[in-house]
Amino acid sequence: MEYFLGIDIGSRLTKGVLIEGNKIKAQKLCSSGTNYHSTAQRLRQELLAEASVSPEEISYTVATGFGAQSASFGNQQSDELRCCARGINLIFPQVRTIIDIGSISSRVIRIDEHGRIVNFAISEKCAAGSGYFMEILANVLRVELQDIGPLSLKADNPVRFSTGCAVFNESEAICMVSEGFSKENILAGVHKALATKISSLINRIQLKQSCAVCGGGGLNVGLIKALEREMGIDLLVPEQPQIITALGAALIAQKIAEEETHANTAGEKKFTDIG
Amino acid sequence: MAEKKKVIKRLKTMYPLRGLVDKMFEKAVEYSHEGKPVAWCMVNWWGGDSLLRAMDVACIYPEDYGAVCAAAGVAQTYLERCNSDGFPDHICGYARNCLGYASLMKAQGGIPAGAPMGGMPKPSLLVGSGYFCDTRFKWFQALGRYMDAPLWLLEMPHPGVPESLGKDSEKYIIRFMVEELKKFVAFLERSLGKKMDWDRLDEIVSDTIEMNRVWWEVNELRKVKPCPVHSRDFWSCMPAALYQAGDPKETTILYKNMYDEVKGMIDRGEAAVPNEKFRLAFAELPPWHSLGFFDNLAERGWNCVVESWAYHPPQFIDLSQYKDPLERVARHTFQYFAGFFKHAHEAGEELGYFGYPYIEYVKNYKCDGFLAHPLLTCRTATNHLMYVQDRLMQKLKVPSLFMEGDIIDYTLFNPDEVLRKADAFEEAMLHYRDVRKKEGLDW
Repeated sequence: MEYFLGIDIGSRLTKGVLIEGNKIKAQKLCSSGTNYHSTAQRLRQELLAEASVSPEEISYTVATGFGAQSASFGNQQSDELRCCARGINLIFPQVRTIIDIGSISSRVIRIDEHGRIVNFAISEKCAAGSGYFMEILANVLRVELQDIGPLSLKADNPVRFSTGCAVFNESEAICMVSEGFSKENILAGVHKALATKISSLINRIQLKQSCAVCGGGGLNVGLIKALEREMGIDLLVPEQPQIITALGAALIAQKIAEEETHANTAGEKKFTDIG
Repeated sequence: MAEKKKVIKRLKTMYPLRGLVDKMFEKAVEYSHEGKPVAWCMVNWWGGDSLLRAMDVACIYPEDYGAVCAAAGVAQTYLERCNSDGFPDHICGYARNCLGYASLMKAQGGIPAGAPMGGMPKPSLLVGSGYFCDTRFKWFQALGRYMDAPLWLLEMPHPGVPESLGKDSEKYIIRFMVEELKKFVAFLERSLGKKMDWDRLDEIVSDTIEMNRVWWEVNELRKVKPCPVHSRDFWSCMPAALYQAGDPKETTILYKNMYDEVKGMIDRGEAAVPNEKFRLAFAELPPWHSLGFFDNLAERGWNCVVESWAYHPPQFIDLSQYKDPLERVARHTFQYFAGFFKHAHEAGEELGYFGYPYIEYVKNYKCDGFLAHPLLTCRTATNHLMYVQDRLMQKLKVPSLFMEGDIIDYTLFNPDEVLRKADAFEEAMLHYRDVRKKEGLDW
């Protein structure tokens, strides 16, 4: 049996997916902590234990994400954009536009029917389109991160933020708390601001339906609703949006291994022919 | 640590051209010691330089010196000095470098210790132009905090609108420019206490036009696949023409030598980047502090084959019928700034200064991608990039990659961030190769 491993070491979470064929055999995520190397090692061991697979049975490993170089056991590194594209393509083959909301940046990706990249845009140095911004706001409002989505849906009069900048929005949110605005209305306003920012990234690459959301932002139901309103479309969200890039890394690992096997077989055949 | 492998094959004939920049700064220091006039110039219109040289004024360029300081790794000292004098971070990196340098020069009573290439001596004249860039209107005026030198600003009409293509427009523009040049001559004669040497000016102008013609021909050769001249070589050689770093007659010979070398490489099928996989157009000015980064891209087979039009010589036009050297200067300059407007108008494109030439370049140089370097401190070199990205995608099906940074301030540039996007961008470039093929575009 051949297994392939994808590890996505993000700035906040490390995700791992073990596949056999196109089936997920095991998946896990944990905090990246401050030592990416040991986190990646530990996650790998846990994945192998969960799937009852020995290290020798892993044919190929691809690492991706902010800390990809810390996965010393990886055979190769790949960029998050391609991994994300391949991961979504497996889950939702009809998707042509992806919104990947990670901790330090948001990415929008246009793909073709094979999950290959057609175009992309990244929020770059601006924090206003990132998941970390939501964490900052959760702290300001003393709300658990997982609660901000459902809470924002209870808003009756979302506030309007005057800038698209994370730094200014944070101080603006603090002012709003002191002025007595409800947490629900502040959070709904934040989601609207984020949705506007991400939507402008989408405009740069031109939306093509269907569109899916992945990354940690995919867990925020309030943000998803705000994006749907902003873009005027329904969005697809995978059951486990955070592991999509790791899944894509595993799929790339599988593809590389297949290509290498194919190349070796072709070489052997040639040698036999000569013989 | 092992030395980073240099992948880009540099032209042998580039080195003497690059060396002219050193000589330009050395000459200015010599002139200063001998009590001869030295001008600090902005990259203005070439005419200004020719007139100064005809009056035996040594010209140096704080903009070029900014690039020198960044490449030498000393710009940060001047940037910090500029900040501590109260100038904001978001003004032009070249201007900040220059203002910080001038501040230190005033404090130390001469060329600041450790200034690269011998430094810029105190100027007898400041010659600028507001053309192209908003910072320039105030930059040299702000130097008044640190020095006392007469300032002259050369201006020309901004003809980037369809109305400028109307009947007689060019005639009026040229007339205005010639008048501006005459006033500049009068200013120089007043300031330097001597008369213009018209015969010398005539010779310099003719030599300058010829120098730019040969340099233009060299760049035409870069359309060949694989391309023998990487942008690194272009940027190294560009000051020789753009800043008239040496005597134009001698520089012309150096560019001719380069033409011969490049032609030979083409005949032998040699490229600047071994195994050229992707051809890219680069916009605008490069991160001068991190030029080695282009070797990382070259390692992947990325060859930067053409750059911003604003640093390229204009397409050659025969001006020999115009006997007045000032008119030749004006017409040559007008060709540089406005020569492509007619083509843009015919193609139904915006006439805006930076947009259209990229469409022509990407098509003619058969580029797979557009590598854009938006500069936090330069609006002129940044504000059109999104527009160019859209037009290249809509018209030519060529994708763009943005790498945010700065010409001088290395703290604003993250090469790893760009490299992390490289695989994805290659996939996009391959995709659009297929799309172009399907749409009948020939590359």
